[in-house]
Amino acid sequence: MDKTADADGSGRPRMDLHSITKVSFSQVVALARAVDEHGGQADVARIAEDVEMELDGIGPIVAAAEFLGVVTVEDGDLRLTDFGRKLIKASVKERKAMLREFMKDLPVFRYVIQLIETSARPASRKDVIDALAVHFGSHSAEDLFRALVYWGRASELIAYDSRSELLTLRTPGVPMPPAH
Amino acid sequence: MSPVAAPFLEVKHVSKSYFEAGKEFKVLETVGFELAERDFVCIVGPSGCGKSTLLRIIVGLDTPTAGSVRFEGKPLVPENPQVAMVFQSFALFPWLTVEQNVELGLEARHDPPERRHAQARKFIDAVGLAGFENAFPRELSGGMKQRVGIARALAVEPLLLCMDEPFSSLDALTAQSLRDEILQLWSTPDLPPKAVLMVTHSIEEAVYMADRVIVLSNRPGRVVAELEIDLPRPRNRKEPEFFGWVDEIYSLIV
Repeated sequence: MDKTADADGSGRPRMDLHSITKVSFSQVVALARAVDEHGGQADVARIAEDVEMELDGIGPIVAAAEFLGVVTVEDGDLRLTDFGRKLIKASVKERKAMLREFMKDLPVFRYVIQLIETSARPASRKDVIDALAVHFGSHSAEDLFRALVYWGRASELIAYDSRSELLTLRTPGVPMPPAH
Repeated sequence: MSPVAAPFLEVKHVSKSYFEAGKEFKVLETVGFELAERDFVCIVGPSGCGKSTLLRIIVGLDTPTAGSVRFEGKPLVPENPQVAMVFQSFALFPWLTVEQNVELGLEARHDPPERRHAQARKFIDAVGLAGFENAFPRELSGGMKQRVGIARALAVEPLLLCMDEPFSSLDALTAQSLRDEILQLWSTPDLPPKAVLMVTHSIEEAVYMADRVIVLSNRPGRVVAELEIDLPRPRNRKEPEFFGWVDEIYSLIV
């Protein structure tokens, strides 16, 4: 999968986090588990029924799972990938590491990490939202920021303090100083 | 002759009634069962059967009208630090961060701050919340809030972990993820609880998680059956054996 493709042909980089803005990592893992229980392949309507969700509710989760390379989707059929199979067998910690490997190459993360590294200080929420708006279009900058914070924390690439509204880089496995 | 060891948890003839205008409303009637170490037990029953009341009595948040709860042979004292509870409503403090919420349970122990931080970090990590230490509850999804609740309960290193419908306010996918993570934690030998007691109204959830299921009747709640679920793990909810257990418990309740 080419994570940097100019998908919409607008000349802008693809809004790579856009397909995962309203979805959590655990929903993706549980979707993979549900597909696995059907032997690794199942109709999306079948899975929706299994997990007691409407199709429009499960849609964004399927899209996110596809984006993360956990399942492939073809003609309404979900098929678990090798990555997806590995993910459900992994421990909570291993899953985070797998997520981190994926996330660190996404243009949005590369960009924000670079922004913090080059300025050698934390980036403010406002600066990042402005930059996201310039690069990815203003209509979704807020959503994208929220997703950046969520997936950044989940993958331990980025830390965010909602009181100071500052983003910092995080070394995975090394705890941040306690906030007081 | 060596004395017979007292059961890990013994619930004996527990009854609970509420009195209103001279009338008695029975909630629980002579409920009894035992828990051994390494038991993962679910209590199921129709809504209003008193299962949450029973759990609150066991952890000391409520008192029985009759009967007793003994923990390793001794009566349970209120605020027993050997028992911790995970609540359906998460019960987090919105003005505290994830880490501060987890540390809260440790304050009563008068540990030095460094030890508290380390302890909180260990369990935040265990529930997959590393990276979210300084987030506030409003920044978290329901599933993550409940992870905080689980980390807080585990951080006090309870011998018995009690959970009251811990997944019922989550969407189905998030709930399933948390069930699997709880089972993963449970299979980690160095994590604290020696036994888990969980209340649920979902029969499928009970069959998915428990070694043993205790079935309560309609109000007033009585134990109608105790079933050993001998399905291998991880359990597949699509297999006929799984449905067999679910059907059997349904038939006991309706």
